[in-house]
Amino acid sequence: MIELSHVSKQFGDDIAVEDITLRIAKGKFCALVGTSGCGKSTTLRMINRLIEHSSGDIFLDGQAIEQYDPVKLRRRIGYVIQSTGLFPHWNVARNIGLVPRLLKWPATEINTRVEELMGVLGLPVGEFAHKYPHQLSGGQAQRVGVARALAADPDILLMDEPFGALDPITREKLQDELAKLQARLHKTIVFVTHDMDEALKLADHLVVMRDGRIVQQGTPLALLQQPADPFVESLLGGLERGLKQAALTRVKDHMTSLGPSWPAQSRIPADFSLRQALSMMLRDHCDRLTVVDQGDVPIGELSLRRIVKEAQLDKVSQRDA
Amino acid sequence: MSLIDALPSPSFKRRPWHPNVVLLCLSGAMLAAAWLLSFVSVAPNRIVSGTAFGMVDAISWPGAALVSLLFIAMAALSSVPTSRHYRAMLGIIILTLLLMPFGLMVAGHWLVDPSLPQARLGIGAAYWTVLFVLLLCLVELRLRLGLSRWWPTLLLAGVGIAWWGCAALWLDRLALVQEFQAREGQFYQAIGQHIALVGTAVGVSVVLGMLLAMLMRRYQRLQKIAFTLLNFLQTIPSLALFGLLLAPLAWLAANVPPLAALGVSGIGNAPALIALIAYSLLPMVRNTYIALEEVSAETLQAAKAMGMRTGQRFWQVRFPLALPVLLEGVRITAVQAIGLTAVAALIGAGGLGTFIFQGLGQAAMDMVLLGAMPILILALIVDAGLGALADALRPGGQE
Ligand SMILES: Nc1ncnc2c1ncn2[C@@H]1O[C@H](COP(=O)(O)OP(=O)(O)OP(=O)(O)O)[C@@H](O)[C@H]1O
Ligand SMILES: [Mg+2]
Repeated sequence: MIELSHVSKQFGDDIAVEDITLRIAKGKFCALVGTSGCGKSTTLRMINRLIEHSSGDIFLDGQAIEQYDPVKLRRRIGYVIQSTGLFPHWNVARNIGLVPRLLKWPATEINTRVEELMGVLGLPVGEFAHKYPHQLSGGQAQRVGVARALAADPDILLMDEPFGALDPITREKLQDELAKLQARLHKTIVFVTHDMDEALKLADHLVVMRDGRIVQQGTPLALLQQPADPFVESLLGGLERGLKQAALTRVKDHMTSLGPSWPAQSRIPADFSLRQALSMMLRDHCDRLTVVDQGDVPIGELSLRRIVKEAQLDKVSQRDA
Repeated sequence: MSLIDALPSPSFKRRPWHPNVVLLCLSGAMLAAAWLLSFVSVAPNRIVSGTAFGMVDAISWPGAALVSLLFIAMAALSSVPTSRHYRAMLGIIILTLLLMPFGLMVAGHWLVDPSLPQARLGIGAAYWTVLFVLLLCLVELRLRLGLSRWWPTLLLAGVGIAWWGCAALWLDRLALVQEFQAREGQFYQAIGQHIALVGTAVGVSVVLGMLLAMLMRRYQRLQKIAFTLLNFLQTIPSLALFGLLLAPLAWLAANVPPLAALGVSGIGNAPALIALIAYSLLPMVRNTYIALEEVSAETLQAAKAMGMRTGQRFWQVRFPLALPVLLEGVRITAVQAIGLTAVAALIGAGGLGTFIFQGLGQAAMDMVLLGAMPILILALIVDAGLGALADALRPGGQE
């Protein structure tokens, strides 16, 4: 668990981060978003003490961060950055094995771990273990970066725009893989990004920052439904907000059981998002879809009227609450 | 990085009828030099200056025809530059280099009167010009063919050994060889002294330079003072620096007996080494400092974030990443020291410079050559060796 309480950071006279209070429960995925220079990276680096905070308290598993030896602390925290920061003079295997080596694991154990991680991140050992960073594509280098951060099995992972420099397709692929990995490993992740869709897709907890302060935090859905001010609203996509919200909602949560009427032609799997369902309706010029399970067997239906109405109900119930 | 590497490597074009102008001009220059300049000179003894002979006199018409043919073939090949033609030209260059001592043998046989035991053969301007231009061709071909530094070095070493063999076995009429034979023991001793002086000076300045560079990184204020001082030292002419050291060292030797016992005196090795080290420090410190500072801040930050301690970050990340640039510094320092050590002969430190200055004193140019050529060869070998080492140590064999 990571806890920041009234944390500030000053560089000389400049205030980079001001009075931040943030709790990230164990196993949660927290995304920091905000315009450039608002203090996201600084916040991240204060957690592994690359930057010492000026005031306030940071706790890690209930213990103040100053009480840890910074070097040992960093070895317990995985860190991934946009430029990967791989060591150009070491091959992939050596890069990944760095922290275990620093922790003096036995050589055989390091090898096993490196090969295991390369498998997990889709880097065939035979092909990549002996390549050097400059021989890798951006996506491959980023996988190595993630593998290196995971090597010593840290509880906490700090990721600073890890997929920022990748093309949209590679980025989406890596996002999906990260989501899968997280579902399995349950790390506590703090993730900085400029890509709002990425944040909404991956995060359990979304933190919006502006000029060193936290403007609003909560679940992605809560922020989409009730942005605190116009800044958060525009950051979350302005008019597109409805669609972004739909992207977070599963079809199966809005389907009704198969009615007596003739089933609709277009079919959609139950675990697709509402956004994809809306897109399909627009494409196929229909207002009803048949929902199917993994075996393509119809299990319900989805109607446009219902989606719109339920969205309205959600809003009303939230206002009352 | 040597000057040759800094030049943009020309892209490889396969357009027909588009000659390689550089090689074409060089071939023409060699042809002109062979015909127009003096090929060899012959002198009845060491003192008298020789009579110059042209190519036809020296190696007769068939020989001249062969030489012309080689150069014309090179010109023809360079007018249609393909990678096969470049390889063929490389072959012609090697052949020419190997034939050069035979030309001297033939000339010696023809022109030197066997009844005069002192008579000797001097190498003419045409020979030197062709040799120099052939080296330029090699540089160009190395770039065109994308060969590593090692290739030309190995090649020249092979040619050098072949020449050595010819010189030892058949070229005893050559003035250079006669100069060598007259002082063979002295020659080897001088090479040894030269290498020892350069080795010590470079070794000491590598250690001192690294220490100084590291101190400068720690104490920023030292940086300005040290660079100013080292830059100033570099501007003193070498002879003047040797002279300046004479008085204080002589005084030290006279007044501090233990130092005198160590061999310190106003002339000889001590002032030579001090001056050589003083000159070597600037390139060494500058390159070490830049190399260490140049390492990407992002990589170092990542090293810190992974939990590497200060020492680990230095020795496992900063230093290995700086090593290629640092070795460039060693290379520059060593090549510079090899040249400077020649001057050290003037204050009695020995080395190959002895022959140069004795030769100059006696107006015996072949003796000057006897000193200058090994210095040149030594510099080339060190340059190529350390350059290749720096290349090999680039991160992950990069670039
Ligand atoms: N080492 C430093 N010294 C001085 N000022 C700094 C330092 N690091 C960051 N800052 C300042 O702190 C502020 C926040 O920087 P930070 O890097 O945290 O922004 P960011 O939100 O990560 O921006 P981006 O999205 O562009 O990465 C900026 O105004 C920056 O100039
Ligand atoms: Mg940042």
